[in-house]
Amino acid sequence: MGGKVTCTLGEVKQRADFIIYWGGNPAECHPRHFTKYTIMQKSRFLPRGRKDRTMVLVDIRETKSAKAADIFLQIRPGKDFELITILRALIKGQPVADEQIAETGLSRAVVDDLIARMKRAKFGCMFFGMGLSMTRGKHMNSAALLCLAAEMNAFTKFVAMPMRGHGNVTGADVIMRWQTGFPFGISFNRGYPRYNPGEFSTVDVLVRGDCDAAFIIGADPGATMPQPAIDHLARIPTIVLDPHVTHTSRIARVHITTAPQGIAAPGTAYRMDELPMPLKPALKSPYPSDEEVVRRINEAIARKPFWLPDGRQPQMVATLG
Amino acid sequence: MSSKRFVLNAARSSRQGALINVGKDSDEYQELTNSMTMAAEDMAEIGLAEGQFAIVRTEFGEARFKCQSGKIPLGMIFIAYGPPTCRLMGGDTDGTGMPTSKGWQVEVVPE
Repeated sequence: MGGKVTCTLGEVKQRADFIIYWGGNPAECHPRHFTKYTIMQKSRFLPRGRKDRTMVLVDIRETKSAKAADIFLQIRPGKDFELITILRALIKGQPVADEQIAETGLSRAVVDDLIARMKRAKFGCMFFGMGLSMTRGKHMNSAALLCLAAEMNAFTKFVAMPMRGHGNVTGADVIMRWQTGFPFGISFNRGYPRYNPGEFSTVDVLVRGDCDAAFIIGADPGATMPQPAIDHLARIPTIVLDPHVTHTSRIARVHITTAPQGIAAPGTAYRMDELPMPLKPALKSPYPSDEEVVRRINEAIARKPFWLPDGRQPQMVATLG
Repeated sequence: MSSKRFVLNAARSSRQGALINVGKDSDEYQELTNSMTMAAEDMAEIGLAEGQFAIVRTEFGEARFKCQSGKIPLGMIFIAYGPPTCRLMGGDTDGTGMPTSKGWQVEVVPE
């Protein structure tokens, strides 16, 4: 089974009476999530707000989000996939040994109680964070959780949604998806889009040294990516567009300061539920927007004679995230 | 003093998010991303005092962090993402495009 059974945050706000945060710390990383969309909101179908909702937090350490949770399940590091698989088995009545459950750091009673609550819910929602997607297992952990959400629909309404961050990362995925059919890790070097995470994704392209130039808009890989990728960015001509001087700016050949989106530049940002939101600038900036800079670069390139003598197209890899 | 292997749990915090807007060159941001939190019992076991520096080492690199005790499970250390954690990460993404940046084994050596 594949795909993502999901909904908008508006539906979560109106209907979700059972919310699981898995491998995320919204109290610190998405501080408005509780109050705007999930546990604190009173709604048409949940008029008592917090009292009508149950929140479960699954994590390997007791974060600030645990204080907001009704149930905190502290599992052993690296046991997310195992626990999700156990839940998938138990909801369907398949046998699971006590030792297998104990390996995750939870007891059978706790897991049975969680399953009973999940099945009793009218509308369940699972939000998952980097604690699931960036630990051992990576996309397999996320896929397992999405399967669990889909399979829970045999009993009640259940959805899942990743806790996206960093401004408009969802927008980058959504735009690439409707333009090419793929969300990230796309190569255009044959003149049509090809998708292969691990081959065309940013970190892999940089670590292998496959690219001989980099154009970075609104990101700071110099402070987030593995050192071998940063080392390659320092070796090649790197151009950065960012409102701030970042770690990447310091290793780049060119830094162009741009107006911050949503503050001094208009545009569209996608919420984590993939809804586009118009951004209205509140301030004026002396700097151009990212869009303006990219448009002017494109115009300047168009005025230049084509630099490959035999008419071949230049190779380009678009790598997001 | 002795070294010991721990599970490194790198993550973000709200203070870190706020400090990004102050500037990544600010003293507060530098201090935050160069600090690590671990259980007081673990610190005592390897002979680390509050505020002492330790080297965190992986097969890919090492970085120096100031230690503080906190509510962290035994055998785990918490560090806010930043340039020092980049030096600990390897470039292999296991074919996923995503480097492993959470929950991997590191060695902690008190200075």
